[in-house]
Amino acid sequence: MHLPDGIVPVDMALAGYAASAGLVALALHRIKALPDPQAEIPRVAMLTTVFFAASLIAVPVPPASVHLMLAGLMGVMLGWFALPAIMVGLFLQAMLFGHGGITALGLNGLILGAPALLAFGLWRQIGGRWPDVAAFLAGSGAVLAALALFAAIVLAGLPAVIDAGAERMALLVLIAAHLPLALAEGVIVMTLLRVLRRVEPRLVPHG
Amino acid sequence: MSQCFRRVAATAFAAGLCAPLSAFSHAALIEAETAQAIRLHALYDTGEPMSHAQVIIYAPDDPSTPWGQGVTDRDGRLEFVLGNEPGRWSFQVRQSGHGAMVHMEIGADAPVIMTASSAQGWGQRLLMVALVAWGALGTAAFVYRRKGGRNASA
Repeated sequence: MHLPDGIVPVDMALAGYAASAGLVALALHRIKALPDPQAEIPRVAMLTTVFFAASLIAVPVPPASVHLMLAGLMGVMLGWFALPAIMVGLFLQAMLFGHGGITALGLNGLILGAPALLAFGLWRQIGGRWPDVAAFLAGSGAVLAALALFAAIVLAGLPAVIDAGAERMALLVLIAAHLPLALAEGVIVMTLLRVLRRVEPRLVPHG
Repeated sequence: MSQCFRRVAATAFAAGLCAPLSAFSHAALIEAETAQAIRLHALYDTGEPMSHAQVIIYAPDDPSTPWGQGVTDRDGRLEFVLGNEPGRWSFQVRQSGHGAMVHMEIGADAPVIMTASSAQGWGQRLLMVALVAWGALGTAAFVYRRKGGRNASA
C-alpha cells in the first residue's frame, strides 16, 4: 500500500515531505537524548531489512492481494528509531522495486510512520501490564491507522476529472481486503514478542 | 381523362419531391476509415489485472488537461484511438490510490514507441533483498564488534 508518483497533486506531495521531515527530526532529537543510541543500531539495521523485504510478500485476499506493512512491529520494536528506519526502507522499496513513488515518499513515510509511532505509544502505555493485548493492538491498530491515512490522502488528492464514486468504491474494496491483514499483523507482533520473552528477553522492548 | 391523370401524376410527383424534405434531416451519414488504435493492458506487479481502473489520457500539447478518459475492462484492457498530433502522449491508469503513468512517443510518420516500467523478475528482487540484508547485517556486525572492542579495552 504505497502511493505511486502522479497520484496526488504536487502541493500535497510537498506537504507530505514537510510532515515526514518534521516527524523524523523529532525522532532524531529523541534518539539523540538516549543514553546509548548506538546500542540500538544492530536491531534497527536488521528490522529495516525485514521491513524492506516484507513488501515483496503478497498475501492473496480475494479478489485482490495485499502486502505486509509491519508498521506496528517497527513501532513496538524500534520506538523512535522506527521513523528513520521506515523512511530508509521506503526509499529502497521505491528505488529498487518501484513500490511507491519518489515524489510520494514523504506521504508514504507519513502513512506508515505515524501508525508506527502510535503503536510505540500504545506499547509504552500498556505493554508492561498486558503485553499480549498491547502487542496485538499495536500490530493490528497500526494497519488500520495506515489504511485510514492512505484513504484520506487519496480522497483529498482526487482530481476533478476522476469518477469519485468509482474511486471511493475501489477504496472500500481495498480497505475490506486489508482487514484480514490487520488481524494477521496483530498476531505476528503478539507471537514474535511472546517468543522473544521466552527465548531472548533482553530483546523485548520495554519502552 | 389521360390529361387529367397526367396532371394528377405531375402534382403527386412534385409533392413527393417536396414532402420528404423534413425526413432528410434524420438521415445518417457514415464515414469509415482506418486508424491506428492503442491497446492498453494494466496489471498490478503481482500479475493481477487492474479491472475497471480509470484511465486518463493527456495530449502532447497540454499535459495538465485530460484529452480523454476511459475505464479498463475486467481484464485490465482498454483500446482507444488517439488524435493525429505527434509528440509525447501520456496515460495514467489509477485505482484506489494505486496506478502508474505510461508515455508514448508518436512521430508524424514514425511508428509508436512505448516507454513504461517493466516488472522485475524474482531473481532480481531476491538479489536486491540479499544486498540490502548484507548491508544491514554488516552494519549490525560492525556495531557489535566496535562495542565488543570498547568493552575489551575497558
